[in-house]
Amino acid sequence: MHGKRRGRFVGWLYILPALLLYGGVVLYPAIQSVNISLYSWDGVSTPTWVGLGNYTDFLSDPELRIAIEHIGVLVVFYAFVPILLGLLSASLLARHARRGYAVYRWVIFLPQVLTSVVVAVLWKQLYGPDGPINTALEAVGLGALTKDWLGDFTWALPALGLVGTWTTLGLCMVLFVSGSAAIPTSLYDAARVDGAGAVREFFAVTLPALRPQIAVALVLTVTGALRTFDLVWLTTRGGPGTSTITPSLLLYVKAFSIGDVGAAAAIGVVMAVVCLLLALVIVRVSEQD
Amino acid sequence: MVASRLEKIVNYAILTIFALAVVLPVGWLLLAALSPQANAGVDLTGLRPRNFVDAWVQSDFGRHLLNSLIICLGAVTLTTVASSLAAYGLTVLRAPGSKFLFPLFLAGIMIPLEGILVPLYYQMRSLGLTSSLVGLMIAHTGLGVSFGVFWMRATLLAVPRELVESAELDGAGRMRTLLSIIVPVVRPAIITMVLLMFMWTWNDYFLAFVMINDPEKMPVTVALGSFSTRYTQQLNLMSAAAVLVCVPVLVLYAFFQRQFIQGVLSGALKG
Repeated sequence: MHGKRRGRFVGWLYILPALLLYGGVVLYPAIQSVNISLYSWDGVSTPTWVGLGNYTDFLSDPELRIAIEHIGVLVVFYAFVPILLGLLSASLLARHARRGYAVYRWVIFLPQVLTSVVVAVLWKQLYGPDGPINTALEAVGLGALTKDWLGDFTWALPALGLVGTWTTLGLCMVLFVSGSAAIPTSLYDAARVDGAGAVREFFAVTLPALRPQIAVALVLTVTGALRTFDLVWLTTRGGPGTSTITPSLLLYVKAFSIGDVGAAAAIGVVMAVVCLLLALVIVRVSEQD
Repeated sequence: MVASRLEKIVNYAILTIFALAVVLPVGWLLLAALSPQANAGVDLTGLRPRNFVDAWVQSDFGRHLLNSLIICLGAVTLTTVASSLAAYGLTVLRAPGSKFLFPLFLAGIMIPLEGILVPLYYQMRSLGLTSSLVGLMIAHTGLGVSFGVFWMRATLLAVPRELVESAELDGAGRMRTLLSIIVPVVRPAIITMVLLMFMWTWNDYFLAFVMINDPEKMPVTVALGSFSTRYTQQLNLMSAAAVLVCVPVLVLYAFFQRQFIQGVLSGALKG
């Protein structure tokens, strides 16, 4: 009995390396984020206590408000559009083995394994003033629509949003197709017997069965939209003007170029809280019947 | 069940539309990378593979490739070893407090990088670990451990208890049991984890961009980012450099499609 107990404590030695690394890189900095966010600090001189001052910025700082509004637009492009298209395609794909599906899946999922820098370099060129999108528009006689997409106050944000759609679409589709392949055929047969059409069948059978997949897709894509940094930084740097700024971009600029470290930490804390709540709420809702 | 002709046509039409949405932009990048013109005008008559050599030389690609490989191999090895040991302690060895420790690890999966980045940078700087490959390696490891423990715990819970018990009866020590009984059984799960970790570390931009300021220490992603802002007049070389950056992950993806897709889908909660 004694030896057995000691044996269990030895388990701690196995956990220790991971716990030290995790604690030093994630847990301690997470606590420090909250701490720093309560100070006004330029990163060099002595910090001054401001309490919740950096958080009230969320109400008063116009740039921060604009950045949050942009997230709303990006969520539509990163999450809603791909999920709707993914569901539509998954429900249209007939439910039987498709020859060559593995090859299609390899291609469709590809944007998920490309690094964000390559995605940014690629789309910056596609959207360029002399890029292929404008060339194509001219070729079909729509030359009037050509513009410097990423340099346009109105179009830069939706253009970047569309890149988000491009990167998450494959993930959503593969997720939903693999999910719907697991739905028992008997459910569809039952729906048919009840006289359900394709649309009724989708809402009565496919959609409820895919709830866990939709939850995962929502968590991933909404979090992705919320955290947009690489794509914006490498294409527009938030411009023109403030038309493509995001919270992550402001966090970076405040922390590492204009020396408003406390405010940057506050943005980070709020983002972490939003991500945690989002994951908890979506997972909870998806598990309810 | 025999599919009707119409169903078949609809199936392939949908799949083809989705595939084209990926193939056209990526194909365009490839052609632009081979373009003889600096503005990357696509010219099928004069493909110029030498662009890859020029891009390699001008972006000092070899150095950054080596940095990326060192960071990835170091971080992936450390994360795999640390997570496997921890998961073993939490499951098979049933360390006291496991019920509390596991959710603690799990929380890290949902904390976004932004929530820790600012203090992490200052902390690393005070330890002299910014602009350091070792520093970035440690940061990636700490961030990866949450997912690793989550993944390996689920894997080890699926290992039959009798397997472990029979090893104990044979007098095998704890480490022996882990290395020669458990690891061979769970090898497929470890391979998937290693592939995902490699991809995440290789593809990272934000963390490396913040942590590394010395151009000589930059991994390929950060180097490509700065190359792309300096060589705005040579789009063909920029495209060639972009292709070079994604080749290693694409090669792995070509050979391990199933692991990548299953891993991303089942480990999908990692934020």
